[in-house]
Amino acid sequence: MGTAVAGILGPGRLGVTRTWFGWWLMAPALVMFAANCIFPLAYAVVVSLKNYQMLIPVPARFIGIRNFLHIFGDPLFWSSLKVTASFIAGVVVLQFPAGFALALLLRGMRRFQTLAATLLLIPTIIASSVAAFQWSQLFNYQFGPLNFLLGLFGLGQPTWTASPTLALPSLLLVDFWEWTPFMMLLLLAGLHALPGDIIEAARVDGSRRWQIVWRIYLPLLRPVIGIALVLRVLMSFKTFDIIYVLTAGGPGASTENLAYYTYIVGFRYFNLGYASALAILQLIVVAVLAKALIRLTHRPSLGGAT
Amino acid sequence: MRPHLRDWLREAMRDGGLGVVILFFLAPVLWMLITAVKPPGEWLNAPPVFWPSRFYWANFAEALGQWGGAKGLIDSLIVASASTLVSVVVGVFAAYSLGRYRTGGETLSFTVLSILFMPPVAVAVPMYIFWSRLGLLDTFTALILQYTVFNVPFVSWVLKSFFEDINPALEESALVNGATRWQAFYQIALPLAVPAIVAVALLSFIFSWNEFFFAIILTRSDVTTLPVILPTLMEGHDIRWGSIAAIATIAALPVVVLAFCLQHYLVRGLSFGTIREGS
Repeated sequence: MGTAVAGILGPGRLGVTRTWFGWWLMAPALVMFAANCIFPLAYAVVVSLKNYQMLIPVPARFIGIRNFLHIFGDPLFWSSLKVTASFIAGVVVLQFPAGFALALLLRGMRRFQTLAATLLLIPTIIASSVAAFQWSQLFNYQFGPLNFLLGLFGLGQPTWTASPTLALPSLLLVDFWEWTPFMMLLLLAGLHALPGDIIEAARVDGSRRWQIVWRIYLPLLRPVIGIALVLRVLMSFKTFDIIYVLTAGGPGASTENLAYYTYIVGFRYFNLGYASALAILQLIVVAVLAKALIRLTHRPSLGGAT
Repeated sequence: MRPHLRDWLREAMRDGGLGVVILFFLAPVLWMLITAVKPPGEWLNAPPVFWPSRFYWANFAEALGQWGGAKGLIDSLIVASASTLVSVVVGVFAAYSLGRYRTGGETLSFTVLSILFMPPVAVAVPMYIFWSRLGLLDTFTALILQYTVFNVPFVSWVLKSFFEDINPALEESALVNGATRWQAFYQIALPLAVPAIVAVALLSFIFSWNEFFFAIILTRSDVTTLPVILPTLMEGHDIRWGSIAAIATIAALPVVVLAFCLQHYLVRGLSFGTIREGS
């Protein structure tokens, strides 16, 4: 038993260097990528250079990079960027430490470890619109159980997702609830792969528990931690469902992230040119992160024993 | 005996702490399940009703019959199954090609991974225009094919890592003994990968089953999957919270059951093949 961080050029090369067979097998997927990805992306680039507005009966004109220049002077873009950054901060500052703590907690269990892990994973695997519905019930400020519990302790009765100050933290709470177990799952797999003798030696040395965690677990787990963080950051760019169901970006635009703002521009205002420019900007950021993910998975020796 | 007692205490504290944690992560789910069987009048109450006075199963009948739950269930099944089928067939070939032949080198691998993480908004506008020009908005065809955009890279990427785990010696010796490359793939590697293929197929089924963004954009009334029914029912007056909770339960239940069946594949599947466990 062991875990390895998969190498992009891992084992399993079938001797022969040049053959068309690989390309034949790849062909159907390539056709699909071309139709569903390359073509739409190329088209998005074209649209992003036009003032393509569906609601205005004027033929779309080629306007160069004016859509892209407009982004930088658009206050709603900057505020949506801040919301996206908040979700990313939530991943790094809250979900990662909590997920790590949970993984350590579960690792110590002798029985029912897999059962506990799978139960904890339910928030991650159910549809996020279902999750958002569940939280909409809990957040209900008049009749919800959350405010009922707060009332028992004589605390205030916040309006949660309807409050200008609490709407974003409420969504971050839902995101935390949804994705911390995912973090835990990946880090637990990493912990299981650590060579047992090193930890045993440290324990015999008389190292304290937090020293073992800080000096041995964290450095050894670095590749897995890197992968988990990059994966989650990539995913958090896509956060959409819980915003759509719980706040619709409001109050005001306080919970509109980049993805949701792009959706609003494209499918509420039907300003397709500007929406495409926003989309391409996000695509570039995500491509850079995906490259980083490949780099991280490229160092197979760091994943612990195979 | 003192160290023994301390161990026991520590274990008890840990189990207690874990209990609280599990309660936090399952509480919203439990609240949904309870709401789904609450009779009208107990859905939204002050103080909240923590346990229904009687089990009111009519919520489910109402959800399925009156609120489009049955159609949602069928539509979700059709879309998720068809998309999974297409993606697995295309993806298995691609995975073997990437894993065994390094087709396209690192550039193609990077492209596949980038498509996997592409924010859906990036292609939303062109795909919306594309499907509307073809007159395919609000059809099964559009949604099924749209989901393959994500599912094909997912299946290829995760299965690629499984094919790499299979020892190539068997295929090599078959090739030496005069088997064609197709036979080496189809008769040797493929049967060995069947459990992984089933697991990856079920995961891709879950992703399509849960998908929300494209369903919102590309469909309206002819195709209505379960996730998009929920927010439409949560608007307006006299909201039937019990029935909505019933639909949400119907949407969540298959996924939870599948997750328990797939326990051993969850790490590799959900990390998109970047973290391998077991073997």
